[in-house]
This record gives sequence, C-alpha cells and structure tokens, in this order.
Amino acid sequence: MSNEVLVDADWAVAHLADPKVVFVEVDEDTAAYDTNHIAGAIKFNWRTDLQDGTRRDFVSKAGFEALLSKNGIANDDTVVLYGGNNNWFAAYAFWYFKLYGHQDVRLLDGGRKKWELDGRELVAEVPARAATTYVATEQDRTLRAFRDDVLKAIGTQNLVDVRSPDEYAGRLLAPAHLPQEASQVGGHIPTAANIPWSKAANEDGTFKSIDELKALYTGAGVDLGKDTIAYCRIGERSAHTWFVLHELLGVKNVKNYDGSWTEYGSLVGVPVALGDEPGNA
Amino acid sequence: MSSCGAVVGGVSLDRVDVSTQAVIQGVVQKDGEPVKVGYVRLLDSGNEFTAEVPVSTAGEFRFFAAAGTWTVVALVPGGSARASVTAELGKIADIDVLVA
Repeated sequence: MSNEVLVDADWAVAHLADPKVVFVEVDEDTAAYDTNHIAGAIKFNWRTDLQDGTRRDFVSKAGFEALLSKNGIANDDTVVLYGGNNNWFAAYAFWYFKLYGHQDVRLLDGGRKKWELDGRELVAEVPARAATTYVATEQDRTLRAFRDDVLKAIGTQNLVDVRSPDEYAGRLLAPAHLPQEASQVGGHIPTAANIPWSKAANEDGTFKSIDELKALYTGAGVDLGKDTIAYCRIGERSAHTWFVLHELLGVKNVKNYDGSWTEYGSLVGVPVALGDEPGNA
Repeated sequence: MSSCGAVVGGVSLDRVDVSTQAVIQGVVQKDGEPVKVGYVRLLDSGNEFTAEVPVSTAGEFRFFAAAGTWTVVALVPGGSARASVTAELGKIADIDVLVA
C-alpha cells in the first residue's frame, strides 16, 4: 500500500529522479549499501551517524542538523527511508525524523528485502548531493519514553513488548541471529503484552493491511484509547511497531522506549516477569 | 551498546563458545547451487518469527537458538522452502534448505 507515510516500490521507481525526493538506506551498518543500493540513494549508518557516540543516546539536534545538511537533505524534501532487517533501522530513523520535526518522511514498504526478492535494480554508484542548511526542531518528547515513564506505566498504560515470544519469556536473551549472551537478565516488564513486531509484517517485510493491523492489537487486548509504550531490546523493532500504531493506525500517545530491555533488564530493584504470561503489577 | 542487526550469513563462530549455544546453520541451495541472494527466517515451535538473516554469497546462514524444534524458512527471488531442525545446547545443527 502507499499513503502519506508508506510508499511501495512502484511509487519509488516513479520518484527516483525527483530531486526533492531523497532515498536513504539506513541500517545498523552500511555493508549492504556499499555493495549496491537503490539508484540515487544515500546512506545513513545507524551506529556511526545516528548514535551519540559517547553517551547512550541517539544523535543530538545539532548532530541531526549537521548530518542532514552534509547529505544534502533540505527541510522541504520528501525523505524515503528503507533498509535491511525488515526496515527495523529505517523505522528507527523514521522515528528520529519525527522527533526532530521533519515534515515529510516515509518508509519504503518491504525495505531492501522486498526490493531484492523482486529482482529490482540496485546500483553501486554513489550520488553527490549539494549540502544544505537543515534546521531541526527541538526533540518531541511526546514520542519518546524513558525508564521512569515505563515504571509508571506498569499496570496503568499499555506496555507492548514486541520481541519474539522466547525473548519475552526469558528463554532467549537476544534475537536468535545473535549469540545468546547478555549482561541484562531475561524476561519482560510486568503487565506488558507480547505482540511481536513480526506479526505486523508479511513474510516479504511489507506491512499487513490496516484492518489486519487493527485486529492484531485489539485482538491481543490492547485498549487503543489508552496511552501506549512499545519496547524491544534496543528500540529498533519497537520503532517498527511505533510506526504501525502511531503512523499507520493513527493511535495517539504512543511512545517508543529506546532504552528498551537493554536498559530495563539492567536496572537494579525493578520488577521483572518471566514466562509467557504478562504478570502482575 | 548491544546491537540487534543481523550479520550477512550469520555471526561467525570464531569468538563464540559453542558449548553455551544451540547453533543452527546451513546453506540455501537452488538447482544444486548455493543461492547468492536470499533470506532465512527462524520460526519457533509455534511458527512465530524469531530471527532472520540475509544469506552470505555462499548461501550460508546461522542462528543461535535454544534447545528444541525450530523451522527455517528460506526466501529467495522466485521461491521459498522450509525445513524442520532440532537444536541442542552445545551442538551445531547443520541443515541445508533446498528451494525447488
């Protein structure tokens, strides 16, 4: 589907030569981009471009302005984000763009995976864009949850843990494409519902239909009239769910907890639930 | 900070203590040859998504699961295939996935 925040491959192909539409491949590292990418796309490395680098935080307002200016993105450009990992890091970047007030940012449905599986063209040529002077707004804190917000939400707001069932239950400490070792304990935040991010996506990485998405959350007992905080392990899979709830379904008061389990599972003295049930407040 | 992104082909075992892991790995093949482009998903015993990696240029993939029965699903341009595999702690379960 294509709408104001989600575009499909045909829309992308029709806008590849549009100078006011900037395609950005975003991933945790840019090895795939460096091999090939959608024609005209620039790259953002989530780790080196979008993180603070010293503190555990993401790029500051000044850093975001410098990054976009250097890469030739103007305030009135349409930015289309896509990437590997089922668009996790592209969704994470989308959330940053919204936090810093960019007006027109969209995701390419299915990301790099669908593009590759469909056999669409990828090129090695890296584009050159003239630098701009990008001005960001102050961070919109209504979209971001911190640990104290999460502790207050236990038993009162919707907490949505979007990790796999085995991570939620504490049987796995990390996504299973990574070795199972972590400094944080296993388990989940008490009262959190487990609605894996993957249930919102088809096998090819595209989002499910709006009706299917609504049914997914309401069927799992999420009261969409209440405030919601989504989390995962580092906040990227939950950015995917934040995108579904806030951007596709238009649910108000949805926050992404980017501290996520990496922070919560390391806190001293907070409640933790083990097993497949949400647990009590 | 701990990362969550998938490594092409899966994380190398070079620095991993396999005795603490339940490794599932293999090669995706089509027409008798390893595929160069594709993705492999790991589903749990309830068929729920648990992880996904892009294959290496030699068609390889690797996961670090828990003991139990899992399903691997290969997605390649123009096809897909699935296979069941049992993982055990301290062991490497090799499973090749053949796409028709």
